[in-house]
Amino acid sequence: MYGAGVAFQPTSSAGGSSKEKKRRDEDDEEEEDDNEGKGTDAWERAYADERSWEDLQEDESGLLRPIDTKTLVHAQYRKRLLLRSSTGGSVASRIQKGLIRYFYIVIDLSRAASETDYRPSRMAVVAKQAEAFIREFFDQNPLSHVGLVTMKDGLAHRLTEIGGSPEAQIKALMGKLECCGEASLQNALELVHGYLSQIPSYGHREVLILSSALTTCDPGDVMETVQRCKRAKIRCSVIGLSAEVFICKHLCEETGGTYTVALNESHFKELLLEHAPPPPAIAEYAAANLIKMGFPQRGAEGVVSICSCHKEAKVGGGYTCPRCKVRVCELPTECRTCGLTLVSSPHLARSYHHLFPVAPFDEVSPHGRPGQRLPTTCFGCQQSFVGQGGAQPSLRTSCPKCNQFFCIDCDIYIHESLHNCPGCESQHNSSV
Amino acid sequence: MKLEVEGLTVYFPYESIYPEQVEYMRELKRALDAGGHALLEMPTGTGKTAALLSLIVSYSIHKSFKFKLLYCTRTVHEMEKTLAELRLLASHLPTPTSLLALGLSSRKNLCVNPHVLSAQSRDSVDAACRRLTASWVRSLAHDNPQVPTCPFFESYDRAASAGPDTLLLPPGVYTLGDLRSFGRSKGWCPYFLARQMIRYANVVVYSYQYLLDPKVATIISKEMQKECVVVFDEAHNIDNVCIEALSVSIRKQTLEGATRNLTQMSQEIERLKATDAGRLRAEYNRLVDGLAQRGNLAITDAWLGNPALPDDILKEAVPGNIRRAEHFLSVLRRLVQYLKSRLLTEKVETENPVNFCAAINSQAGIDQKMLKFCYDRLHSLMLTLEITNTDEFMHIQTVCDFATLVSTYARGFSIIIEPYDERMPTIPDPVLQLSCHDASLAIKPVFDRFQSVIITSGTLSPIDLYPRLLNFSPVISRSFTMSLTRDCICPMVLTRGSDQLPVSTKFDMRSDPGVVRNYGRLLLEMVAAVPDGIVCFFVSYSYMDGIVNSWNEMGILQDVMQHKLVFIETQDVVETTLALDNYRKACDCGRGAVFFSVARGKVAEGIDFDRHYGRLVIMFGVPFQYTLSRILLARLEYLRETFQIKEGDFLTFDALRQAAQCVGRVIRSKADYGMMIFADKRYSRHDKRSKLPGWILSHLHDAHLNLSTDMALHIAREFLRRMAQPYDKTGCGSKKTLLSEEDVMKMSEGAMDTY
Repeated sequence: MYGAGVAFQPTSSAGGSSKEKKRRDEDDEEEEDDNEGKGTDAWERAYADERSWEDLQEDESGLLRPIDTKTLVHAQYRKRLLLRSSTGGSVASRIQKGLIRYFYIVIDLSRAASETDYRPSRMAVVAKQAEAFIREFFDQNPLSHVGLVTMKDGLAHRLTEIGGSPEAQIKALMGKLECCGEASLQNALELVHGYLSQIPSYGHREVLILSSALTTCDPGDVMETVQRCKRAKIRCSVIGLSAEVFICKHLCEETGGTYTVALNESHFKELLLEHAPPPPAIAEYAAANLIKMGFPQRGAEGVVSICSCHKEAKVGGGYTCPRCKVRVCELPTECRTCGLTLVSSPHLARSYHHLFPVAPFDEVSPHGRPGQRLPTTCFGCQQSFVGQGGAQPSLRTSCPKCNQFFCIDCDIYIHESLHNCPGCESQHNSSV
Repeated sequence: MKLEVEGLTVYFPYESIYPEQVEYMRELKRALDAGGHALLEMPTGTGKTAALLSLIVSYSIHKSFKFKLLYCTRTVHEMEKTLAELRLLASHLPTPTSLLALGLSSRKNLCVNPHVLSAQSRDSVDAACRRLTASWVRSLAHDNPQVPTCPFFESYDRAASAGPDTLLLPPGVYTLGDLRSFGRSKGWCPYFLARQMIRYANVVVYSYQYLLDPKVATIISKEMQKECVVVFDEAHNIDNVCIEALSVSIRKQTLEGATRNLTQMSQEIERLKATDAGRLRAEYNRLVDGLAQRGNLAITDAWLGNPALPDDILKEAVPGNIRRAEHFLSVLRRLVQYLKSRLLTEKVETENPVNFCAAINSQAGIDQKMLKFCYDRLHSLMLTLEITNTDEFMHIQTVCDFATLVSTYARGFSIIIEPYDERMPTIPDPVLQLSCHDASLAIKPVFDRFQSVIITSGTLSPIDLYPRLLNFSPVISRSFTMSLTRDCICPMVLTRGSDQLPVSTKFDMRSDPGVVRNYGRLLLEMVAAVPDGIVCFFVSYSYMDGIVNSWNEMGILQDVMQHKLVFIETQDVVETTLALDNYRKACDCGRGAVFFSVARGKVAEGIDFDRHYGRLVIMFGVPFQYTLSRILLARLEYLRETFQIKEGDFLTFDALRQAAQCVGRVIRSKADYGMMIFADKRYSRHDKRSKLPGWILSHLHDAHLNLSTDMALHIAREFLRRMAQPYDKTGCGSKKTLLSEEDVMKMSEGAMDTY
């Protein structure tokens, strides 16, 4: 076959021009079309799956070298940080954020999800990234709830009830991976709308649709459903895997969500993770209102009780609702009996940082301004900025408040995990 | 904003401007300064109309309104769009300027009288209007109030008769809708008001016909002075409009209708003889005096003018043997009889006008001079007979049209009689066509009369061919490209199917099942990869029917329908409109749709598939004209002999401008994006490709010239992903595509420095 013959060639002639690389890329597409259905040889599959040529790039002199992923990641991180701080408002303007989110993820399992332009298939990539996203989401939003909905065969199906435990969601998702039929945006929205309209008014209702399909087969007028979602204050966002679809764009514009299309798997991951931090609060909810919450005690070991969520007897663990004394398995949740929101104090504390984010650090040129002496070590990890053996000095940043210098790894750690600047904190202590 | 273009202050209605618009204005200004004609190609979506209007209006303010702008559009829709643009501009002009701009259209679009408007076609609206407003009807109504007249016209007439120069319309910009509502509120007839006011207007927006068709032009545009600037927008088909203006076709129904008309007229004459013989005698006397018309006609009586060009009309008395009404009718009867006998032919006949006139002379005994006067004589007779239902007399008018044209022109025309349609030889449908081959004939008076004629469109490539076709010498002819912040158009030439076999609609290949299947596979792959709307253009209706049938049998169509709904353009306008409506709906609600359409059809010419309504357009094949058509063959021969344009060159030029027009439907603004696939191996040849407009060619990479289906699919996927990313609209640095006032200042200073 044509495809197989060509596919073998590149291994012998590795250093080609970019045009040749592109052509090879296209040839691979052909090969993959041929391969569908008849099964591939092991060596071929390894070649096709790993796509090792994508890790190479050409430098100025035309030599191939592996892509420097580290600097790329750093650059991306800086870009994202600046973008977030510019859209989310600066520290000074203190934007209110919706911390209690009721979040439905709609996963498209229509026929289009079996396409293999993402490796190994769109569906597998979506599932993998959704899993990572759910973990990240709960890490950042401990007070929030997630539910899963799938679209296939023109129907929408609720995979999991909205809940606060990442493990249950992931388990349910991984068990249900097969795709067929059409996607129906309207059915999915109607279903989600039905569930989300019951939640308490302080919660932020959000839907994230991971859409592979380019068409939606709807039983009625989808525009009406979009308007209903808008009226119900459901913020709908869509991440597309292949191209921009008008109705999705319309949906997002109407309901105040974001619409993005992924270029490749890493970009998809990036886009997905952008949904993890809480969005600015909708104006209607911005008026501060008090929410009654319970902080349940952890049940003593060895006590047998019937849990209200699974309706079965359990030994030890669990939490007891402070109002009606019923047992629940996990936090945060809503008490089944009295409807009280149950959280633990660390959950509240962890949500706090979204309201007071650490300001993005300024980038500092490696040589500094003339006449200014730069410290040679990072304030955070005490590692030397100057690399071993006179290598290129790595990127460094400085906090605009305390003017301490940090290496990029500490910068990432401070902004992504710590949410406090060590420089500012130590200053604070010394002044007191 | 205000900007300086070579010393002229130009008022521009937007806050920022594209660099190519500045370029465009500069060239336009040079053409106006030189007082010559210009040919300017600029892609759609770059604000051609805004640039044109701003510059010309600013120029005329500069010259203190010494000249008018006559802006010709193809459709009423475009007319409205132009006027809307103009209104925006008017609000940005300095305050003391009093700009009067209005659109002029037929009575059907302007009338506000509910009785008249209830008529269906344009002709019947005209006739209904005449029935109420003709001078004899009004004089009759003067004596007898029972006779119905049009209240709008009466009150307009009262207002207008207050003085010839009373400005009835305050300065401003009037669209057709504005004119109608103004007319309604004042109780004046908007149509005649507009006709009257174009004399005083600074900008008149109307249709091509008002300048190019001599029948209409002599009535409407006679009074326009030489200093006018004439703009033909979307003028890529201007040669065809010119040719149509001077072509007549006569069918069997026409002749039967003409016979009926003649009978009716002779009855009318008999009746008149019995009741009011004086009127006939008066007409006779007038004709003896050499006046075809009776003095100055009332505005309402003015009818379609002579079909021949003003310079070619004889300024003589009507020949003696047709002065008497009965004699003239018998001449016409003989003519109709002769034409009927010619239609009975079994084989195709082609003749030149000289031979044809000689044949009429010998067979029917009508000499050339009588023929020449046919039209004027008929006009005079109908006025004498006070016929108001002109729509019923269209047939005899067509015959007289034909007679006058065929006897006036010896060159550039030919008469072709076909007993049946070439494609359906079993159905007899005889037609006699007088076809004009020379586009320069109709437009020549326009070029001669007006100082500056601007011809502009999105597709005028190759730009050197138009001056030859229209026989004029432009002082400026330029093609502009689009400045883009991102590569938002992606043209591709697809030469092979996924099995590497070539695809083409060449005559010997088009019915090959392999080619049909490859085209089907292409569509199938694309519907799965492209969101929302896809438009497909085929070379002809018959080819579309054939290939869609084959796809249906192969099961390809069913597979396509799993991804997108399929809509088809038909020759029925209502059906096509419905299909388009539903197509748009399907694109809106996310179901996705494919529209099958035909190059040179209504859809290809006038419907935009912008944004999600057209993310991809596939041009199946090269849309050559039907090369066996007699008219085309005759025209090609004429072009070769007169203008030294080779047949092949003209055919390719014509096919490629149609193709460019088709694919240009998807991109109507810079924020838009779309792909274009030219699916035929012949597009990869240089002689074809080089005739595409520059703005398509500049985006056609070498790597995209010889693609197979799977390669095209890969490119399409990458392109769609790239285009879906957010982007910066203004561009940055040297690639700046949106200029503010300061930028333009800087640019002009920079240009000064380099000189």
